[in-house]
Amino acid sequence: MKRILRDTCILAALMILCVFTVSIIWVGLTDEISLVLSLFGLSFIISLANYFMDEYVTLPILTGYVVKYILATGIVMLFGFIAGWFYKSNFWMAFIYVGIVLVLAYLVDAVKTKQDIDYINSRIDRIRNRER
Amino acid sequence: MIIEKKQVEGKPLTVVIEYPQWNDSVENLVRKISLMDLTFTGKSEDRTVNISVSDIYYIENVERKLFLYTRDEVFRFDGTMSDIEKGIFETGLVRISRTCIMNTDYLREIRQIRNSHLEAVMDNDEKLIVSRKYLPEIKKIFKRRSI
Repeated sequence: MKRILRDTCILAALMILCVFTVSIIWVGLTDEISLVLSLFGLSFIISLANYFMDEYVTLPILTGYVVKYILATGIVMLFGFIAGWFYKSNFWMAFIYVGIVLVLAYLVDAVKTKQDIDYINSRIDRIRNRER
Repeated sequence: MIIEKKQVEGKPLTVVIEYPQWNDSVENLVRKISLMDLTFTGKSEDRTVNISVSDIYYIENVERKLFLYTRDEVFRFDGTMSDIEKGIFETGLVRISRTCIMNTDYLREIRQIRNSHLEAVMDNDEKLIVSRKYLPEIKKIFKRRSI
């Protein structure tokens, strides 16, 4: 199921990029196309920051997510101001948007980590019992 | 395929493969067994020793120097983490953090400690910090073993 969902997201992203590429050639860069391309750019920057954090920073799961929350919110706010998404009065919305995504990601990660640990430990027990 | 095992004292571990005809399956089997016999050259004070992968508990990068840890000894290795990673394909060794490679053959358990850090407990009671990012890689090794 996870693979199907991942492939669906990748396929949808490719379809959007292909359709928009044709549209840009045909009618030029519209506001809607600019918004979607900006979102792709923002996703790329957040993914890059996330990759470097996972690679070079070792933190407890909760602290890691708090740091990621601050980092991602900072990126979204900066990007949002440059792209003109936020007014001075509503920039705090970035905290809510990023917060919702990260709380979901944290819950999935915590459950998955627990499942992986249980699986590995059960395999070790089984192998050791077989060897006895 | 017939598998025969017998204990022969005073001889190193010996694997004899008898086959009616050399084919891809036999070649694959020989390649896999050869991989298990992989050794790394380690240095300890003034002696140089060939250490079998099966004797290594873990490999650690400390201030850009690599150390191979066996049950009771530590050896310096002149190479990089990527040199080691190139050779350990299909062995029980797996990267568990940016600075550590662990031999899952000697893994007793993985547990979540305070602050949700992960810790691997080895057979010799050593404890290693595991990065969550590498947990799926460890799981893959145990999945492969159950096939």
